[in-house]
Amino acid sequence: MTAPSLYVHIPLCVRKCPYCGFYSEPVAQHNPARLVGALAQEVRQTVRDPQVPTVYVGGGSPTCMPMDLLGRLLYEITRTVRGFEEFTVEANPGQVDRPILQFLRNIGVNRLSLGGQSFQPQELKTLGRLHTVEQIVEAVEMAREVGFENIGVDLIFAIPGSTMESWRANLKRAIDLGVTHISTYALTYEEDTPLTADRDAGRITPIDEETDREMYELAIDMLTDAGYEHYEISNFARPGFACRHNLGYWANRPYNGVGPSAASHIQRRRCTRIADIRQYIHAVENELDPIAEIQETSALEFACETAVLNLRRIRGIDWAEYRATTGYDAMDLFAAVIEEHRKNGMLTVDDSGIRLTRPALPIADSILCDFSDIDD
Amino acid sequence: MATDHIRNFSIIAHIDHGKSTLADRMLELTGTVSSRQKRDQMLDSMDLERERGITIKASAVTMRYEHEGREYMLNLIDTPGHVDFHYEVSRALAACEGAILVVDATQGVQAQTVANAYLAVHNNVEILGAINKIDLPAAQPDVVGDEIEHVLGIRKNECFRISGKSGIGVPELLEAVVTLLPPPKDRSDEPAAALIFDSLYDEYRGVICYVRVFAGCLKPKQKIRLMGAGRSYVVGELGKFTPQMTPVDQLGSGEVGYVVAAIRDLHDVHVGDTITDDIHPAPKPLPGYVAPMQMVFSDFYPGNMTDYPKLRAAFERLSLNDASFTFIPQNSPALGFGFRCGFLGLLHMEIIQERLERENDVDVVQTAPTVSYEYKTTDGGVKRIDSPSELPDRSAIEEIREPMVKLEIITGVDSIGGIMRLAEGRRCKLVKTDYLSPTRVMLEYTAPLAEIVYDFYDQLKGISHGYATMDYEFLGFEAADLVKIDILVNKNIVDALSLIVHRSNAEHRGRKLLIKLRKAIPRHQFEIPLQVAIGGKIIARESIKPFRKDVLAKLYGGDVTRKMKVLKRQKEGKKRLKSIGMVQIPQEAFMSILDTGED
Repeated sequence: MTAPSLYVHIPLCVRKCPYCGFYSEPVAQHNPARLVGALAQEVRQTVRDPQVPTVYVGGGSPTCMPMDLLGRLLYEITRTVRGFEEFTVEANPGQVDRPILQFLRNIGVNRLSLGGQSFQPQELKTLGRLHTVEQIVEAVEMAREVGFENIGVDLIFAIPGSTMESWRANLKRAIDLGVTHISTYALTYEEDTPLTADRDAGRITPIDEETDREMYELAIDMLTDAGYEHYEISNFARPGFACRHNLGYWANRPYNGVGPSAASHIQRRRCTRIADIRQYIHAVENELDPIAEIQETSALEFACETAVLNLRRIRGIDWAEYRATTGYDAMDLFAAVIEEHRKNGMLTVDDSGIRLTRPALPIADSILCDFSDIDD
Repeated sequence: MATDHIRNFSIIAHIDHGKSTLADRMLELTGTVSSRQKRDQMLDSMDLERERGITIKASAVTMRYEHEGREYMLNLIDTPGHVDFHYEVSRALAACEGAILVVDATQGVQAQTVANAYLAVHNNVEILGAINKIDLPAAQPDVVGDEIEHVLGIRKNECFRISGKSGIGVPELLEAVVTLLPPPKDRSDEPAAALIFDSLYDEYRGVICYVRVFAGCLKPKQKIRLMGAGRSYVVGELGKFTPQMTPVDQLGSGEVGYVVAAIRDLHDVHVGDTITDDIHPAPKPLPGYVAPMQMVFSDFYPGNMTDYPKLRAAFERLSLNDASFTFIPQNSPALGFGFRCGFLGLLHMEIIQERLERENDVDVVQTAPTVSYEYKTTDGGVKRIDSPSELPDRSAIEEIREPMVKLEIITGVDSIGGIMRLAEGRRCKLVKTDYLSPTRVMLEYTAPLAEIVYDFYDQLKGISHGYATMDYEFLGFEAADLVKIDILVNKNIVDALSLIVHRSNAEHRGRKLLIKLRKAIPRHQFEIPLQVAIGGKIIARESIKPFRKDVLAKLYGGDVTRKMKVLKRQKEGKKRLKSIGMVQIPQEAFMSILDTGED
């Protein structure tokens, strides 16, 4: 039994992007030193088995904190865990320079995830990003120079004002940069975000569904043509560079999440931490449990989650792996649903398992939802 | 009690004109209920009735009343106020010698006022006019009095001016029940004959029959016979409603009460049937018995096939206390197993729908209401069908006949134009126009029931800003140039959506239907053709474009719980859909079929 992975959440940003629906607060309004103290303490308390397979430090923007604080946190993590094969830190291209990157590399971070989002200045502005196109390029080059082999860039498509041409150009720039990992996300209109308010008020016009789909299909075509392996609905990687930490989520393997609003999933128990920085710090400092919500899932619910998560992967559900993870036979649980979608050309079924077909990918939720619970 | 000390009467009124409030006041004045124990609208016993403010089932209550030192027994027989229950109103009136016709002083004479008054006249019932709600600021008792005199022939100066709410004029009205309404005839020497004017099912006692004894008397342990049904029973208990069920040792000539005789199935008892003595029966039954006729039909399918037995049990329960509702198993190739349900009318259907939802936890898919049709075959036979899908091939049919009704609409003169246009579009023929007053008019039409069965009433209310009222009465079947149109979804005929329409309307109706279906059927993973056909010939088509993008961009560790919820909701939404030829059709699509509204 492998130990749970570790995720550390830093819910701080210089300024929150208007499309972001995650919990995050402006760094200037908080005391990052105390937060780092609390995070380090929680990491020490939470990690029981130090043989953690992967570590992921995300946010927010971990790099919006002063370097000494981020350094202290990473140092505490590396002191607590060992044997990890992948250690990712998310970085904002506008917040890194050579010394920071060098430091990250030296301390043991071996994967850098850069929130690039777009190579069009206008699109970056629409997204409210605080970095420039040049800074993305520089960050990738510097990271490579200091020894990062595994560099990922996130790209957002279907940004209001974008076109097939601008998207094609974005993909090409990312490919030309030679990064090992590219995530492509369609812009989503999350509840209670300024972006959604702008849409609802008619101030911005969302990209139509047909174009959204074409952009997604273009990404699949261009990236796979360029030698990237399409391994999850939104993720592409050079062979051997798929994100192991995220693969753990899609395999429904256990993980500990540390930090405000972070979620853990250990033995069918999901715990969400307090989504408030001050309350979280207060709880940890006073040795109180920073957990806001605990949810126990039944074996069947777990089996459904696993099916949905597995099907996000291009390799889909592997019969044997599924049985080992859930104790259930996927075919027994979902026979009717599998048959229906197979008949409609949405699922491929063979001896090793089931997976979404290419036409199913853009409309995956209409298929996945049928795996989200079991009809009685 | 001697028959001249008995008065049997009803209160008849248009809906909301204050019938139940007046009844409450009478119960209070006669001390039948103290104001402490009274609930508003005493006579409406089902929750649904109380909530909707309407009386569904007739009910009866016996009151004691003193007049000039003598005690009288007043039997108040409550009647439903709605068009669908004509027959029940008619049977309740047949049990009375008199009726109080209540008209709202702020609303004036309405369609059901007229319909009910005609029914009373038809049943030889003496009518007392009462103008109610005279204490409201908007009351116009003089104007309303003129209308009553003009339309119903009751002299304006003989109408009582009352307020059921405050009690003004109610003591005088009660006195008039004794002094002006006739007592029942004394026929105590004749063989027993009692009219069943209502019945209900009680879980413990079985069927309870509401009866009016016309001749002879009924006693406990007596062997009785239901003359129409031809079945015999032994009386277990007799009693009166005071308003609680109070046993008595006999029900004599002229009296009103209840009979319990260990009858287990409500369907063995028909309103209008006659109870007589099994050994010394009456020579003939009391007049007027008609089996209830279902005119409006709709199919109900379980949302989930495994709920079929549950749905059947639910319908069985509902029919236990409503014998005028029918359901027969139905197997639609498109929808699977379900039931075709028959109702007296639209309100009746709505009531059953609501009770089904309220009292039973079953998800149902329901088709739009249709009416019965008759067709004449080429060899001269006439058949009746309750569903368009039962109509045979055109070549075997000589003619199709549709049910016609006499439709009465009362409205303000300012909306006549709009109403006439509405009626014209629904193939209604104007028979008579009658001005009740310079500002209000009564329109009488001959109308196809199919044209008014769905949203006619809503449209009428819309055009008249809520002022118009309508009532209808079945006339008979009449031949018309009708055709069956079929709807094809993804090249499959959805038999549940087939429709019989007038030929002149077929293409227009078909097109509108497709537009509605296009809106109601969610987008799928593929393009869905929608077509309208008459006898295999496509007369209109539409298509539903496939959805193109439906996928969460991100799904990582922290999102799992939230995103699983989103997916489950999405699945839940799919569950309410019925799958036909790979296309999922939601219930609204079925209902949209008859929605001819201009939207």
